[in-house]
Amino acid sequence: MLNAPHIDYIIKDLHHRGIVLDGFQDEVIDHVCSAVEAEVNNGKNFIEAYREVLKSFGHTAGLREMQKQTFQYENQRTKVMLKNYLTLAFRTLRKQRFFTLINILGLAIGIASCLVIVLFVNNELSYDRFYKNANRIYRVNGEIKFGGNHYKLAVAPAPLADAILNDYPDVESAVRFRSRGSYLVKRSESADNFKEQNVIWADSTFFKIFSVPLLEGNPGRALKEPNTVAISRKTSDTYFPKGDALGQSLILDNTLNVKVTAVFENMPENSHMHFDILIAMSGLDEAKSTQFLSNNFNTYLLLKDGVDVRTLEMKMTGLIEKYVGPEAAAVLGGEFTIEKFRASGNKLEYTLTPLTDIHLHSDLTAELGPNGDITYVYLFFAVALFILAIACINFMNLSTARSANRAKEVGVRKVLGSLRSHLVRQFLLESVLLSLFSFFLALILALGFLPVFNDLASKKLALPWSDPAFYGMLLAAALVMGVLAGLYPSFFLSAFKPVNVLKGNVSLGMKSGFIRSSLVVFQFVISIFLIIGTITINRQLDYIQNKKIGFRKDQVLVVNDAYALRDKLQTFKNEIAKNNFIQSGTISGFLPVSGTWRNDNTFWPEGTQPNQENMVGLQNWRVDVDYVKTLGMKIKSGRDFSTEFPSDSSAIVMNETAAKQFNFDKDPLGKKISTFNGSKPDGTADPGQIRSWTVIGIVEDFHFESLKQNISPLALFLGKSDGMVSFRFEARNTQDVIQAVEKSWKTLAPGQPFQYSFLDQDFGRMYATEQKLGEIFALFAGLAIVIACLGLFALTAFTAEQRTKEIGIRKVLGASVAGIIVLLSKEFGKLIVIAFVVAAPLAWWGVDWWLKNYTYKVEVGIYVYLAAGGLAFLIAWLTMSYQSFRAATVNPVESLRTE
Amino acid sequence: MYSPEPLKGTLQTILLKVLKDHGKMYGYEITQRVKELSEGRILLTEGSLYPMLHRLEAEGMLKTETVLMGKRVRKYYALTAEGRSLVKERLNELFDFIKTISTVLQVKIT
Repeated sequence: MLNAPHIDYIIKDLHHRGIVLDGFQDEVIDHVCSAVEAEVNNGKNFIEAYREVLKSFGHTAGLREMQKQTFQYENQRTKVMLKNYLTLAFRTLRKQRFFTLINILGLAIGIASCLVIVLFVNNELSYDRFYKNANRIYRVNGEIKFGGNHYKLAVAPAPLADAILNDYPDVESAVRFRSRGSYLVKRSESADNFKEQNVIWADSTFFKIFSVPLLEGNPGRALKEPNTVAISRKTSDTYFPKGDALGQSLILDNTLNVKVTAVFENMPENSHMHFDILIAMSGLDEAKSTQFLSNNFNTYLLLKDGVDVRTLEMKMTGLIEKYVGPEAAAVLGGEFTIEKFRASGNKLEYTLTPLTDIHLHSDLTAELGPNGDITYVYLFFAVALFILAIACINFMNLSTARSANRAKEVGVRKVLGSLRSHLVRQFLLESVLLSLFSFFLALILALGFLPVFNDLASKKLALPWSDPAFYGMLLAAALVMGVLAGLYPSFFLSAFKPVNVLKGNVSLGMKSGFIRSSLVVFQFVISIFLIIGTITINRQLDYIQNKKIGFRKDQVLVVNDAYALRDKLQTFKNEIAKNNFIQSGTISGFLPVSGTWRNDNTFWPEGTQPNQENMVGLQNWRVDVDYVKTLGMKIKSGRDFSTEFPSDSSAIVMNETAAKQFNFDKDPLGKKISTFNGSKPDGTADPGQIRSWTVIGIVEDFHFESLKQNISPLALFLGKSDGMVSFRFEARNTQDVIQAVEKSWKTLAPGQPFQYSFLDQDFGRMYATEQKLGEIFALFAGLAIVIACLGLFALTAFTAEQRTKEIGIRKVLGASVAGIIVLLSKEFGKLIVIAFVVAAPLAWWGVDWWLKNYTYKVEVGIYVYLAAGGLAFLIAWLTMSYQSFRAATVNPVESLRTE
Repeated sequence: MYSPEPLKGTLQTILLKVLKDHGKMYGYEITQRVKELSEGRILLTEGSLYPMLHRLEAEGMLKTETVLMGKRVRKYYALTAEGRSLVKERLNELFDFIKTISTVLQVKIT
């Protein structure tokens, strides 16, 4: 047997020769000892025997080769390898708890936002695609430019559908919709009305073109007979909870008695039209009109398979010559021709929009409902990508910054024979693990975040838990993201040369961070851009809400559906006006907020021949004598309507724009304008019947549509218009006002639903989209900043850690706490200033682009930009200062003693 | 002494068979055993022995047991159940191979 010193000698010598692998080392020692023993027993002395044995191993080189092979064999098995990598990854992640937490949190917030936005975008893009014939259905649009007006309409003339079916065999079928606003609905035996918003007149071809499943009734006969309706399942449940809707009667607006002949499945959320009650078009006289000059019918065509839309559109210009031209000539006098009409810069054409484009690409007059906007889809998508980019950048930055600490690990592992591919795999696995954790956390966050977003965006989005593709996509995304985010750090780290690392002369950490700095700059460019965007949107909103709009929108109560009062309408108004808190009231369906009644006719100065030059398209609103007073408009010259002048029945008050259009600038008062006042039996305007009105006053321009649009010519007439009654009340308990009004309503219109709103709310509703946009933008801008700051926070922590000794020495040499804080903050402060310089022009461009939509827009002063920059700087500085302060106040003894 | 080339392919089989016949053994013991059985004509090099042992262990064919001997640690290898079935497989393979070789070479092995 060998003695202890001999064995020690062998152990040391082998260790010296680089045999260190766990498990293998002991084995080799035992083997060598046994072999040496055998040689010694053969009579050799120890040293000779040891030399002999070493020789059989192939000396140091042979030993190392053996060790390397053993190591590789052990690791070649994937299971073992993965287990090793996993153990190591978990160990590192746990050791770096702070960074791991920030990484996961940042990524999770980023992914959650992204997830929510992707759901939103996906939903927006899915509109109308579920209809079986979706790719063959087109809507007819009309564009008319005439008499100072420019209309882009989602509606077409009543006879157009038949004309198209007649003239173009490419078209298989057509359906028309005619919207007449909301209806009051009740069962024939019930006294109480309900207000139904989604009521539409429709042709019986509806069920053939749109694949809305019929639950009850005969699909071949539904909507064929006049005075029949098809109702949705929801409506059927409301009015006929027993499920016996078929064959029953409903009464619409207290007058029209209709029979239910079909019940259809509720139309999905992601359809651009949502109807609850379809009334058979055959019962509508207006639908039988042969007049091509009035556009009231939303017309949808089903094309035959393989028909080229562009060609059909080209052919459709023929409709203008064939039908519209002759009719216009009849109205405007003999010399009218379509050619002349076009030559003087006017326009009349019909185009087709694919069904699937309507929701995102169509914003015309008389749409069937409010649509989405592709701009917002792009915008949100960009924001989602930005946020994700910021989160990924954090990840990369933190990983590379940490490289200083891991460089030694890399060096040692490489010396031990670790290949570069091993290290790359190790680091990639770490980042994939982080990414998986983040996705898991993101799912939870998204779950909590969705209701908030749904509220903001008025959507009903939900995570598709039951869809396996969803999980597959998430997993794939997590893997791709983990790999992408880990790619740079892993190649960066694994490229270290062990010699340099272990000697300590690899320049690492904060000084080698050009890429890192640019990434931080990029993050803050995005953040500052989003902040500026948010401020701008909110300022524009503010501007709109507080702009001088030409009337007083506050303290006005609007009672809707006043026609339900029938002949008691005037009584109702008088009764309520008696209350001392009511200043005045007015009966008119025309209000200066969008969504109320509109009426457009062409007028010309009296005594001239109407032609294309002197005709003015004029909003003519029927109002009563108290209208101007109640809504708080200002009479600029002349006078308001008055009961003292019976002649006011043929008087008008026009706005400044109208006066300008008629060239009445100097002295409009007393001038007269004329319009057609009757139609021939076929429905076209009769040139023989003309009526004139006298201008008695000019009202200051007031906005009656969204501020996106210019004020167009408008005139007020005295006339009956029973859509709404508005009351101006004194500032006091609003609840009392409502109660008093409701009480009168209940007595005068029993059984009719009392619907009211406030004018300022209706006004605000016109800007609901902007409001939402502003809120959503603010939300995401906030998130972006939070994630960027999380990254900055960790980076500062890292710098502080790196520079612990430097700070200690500086303090010993007399540096103040403040000085050190400045020192630490300076580096990133600089980056934020650079970010601001880059972001400002970008933001300017973006803001300019968005504000182009508005005719009336806020000036975005330089101080908004400065404020945004300042805000970003302040937040970033606060983030950094915590870490800097902590580093600066550490007792230098502590930091210098540890080596 | 044989050239290491033909030995390489049979190393695994030899290791498995020796371990099957003798139960648990440690590395040095295996080399000595093989030397003895081959009457000194087969000398296993440590450079191929240990990597192969570790590989078989990683594959689950061998189990190990370490015994502390003063300052030295001795590691014994033994077949697992899986390893046992592998021995048969490998031996059959080898016999088959030898038969084939003999027909290819047109000689008879006595």
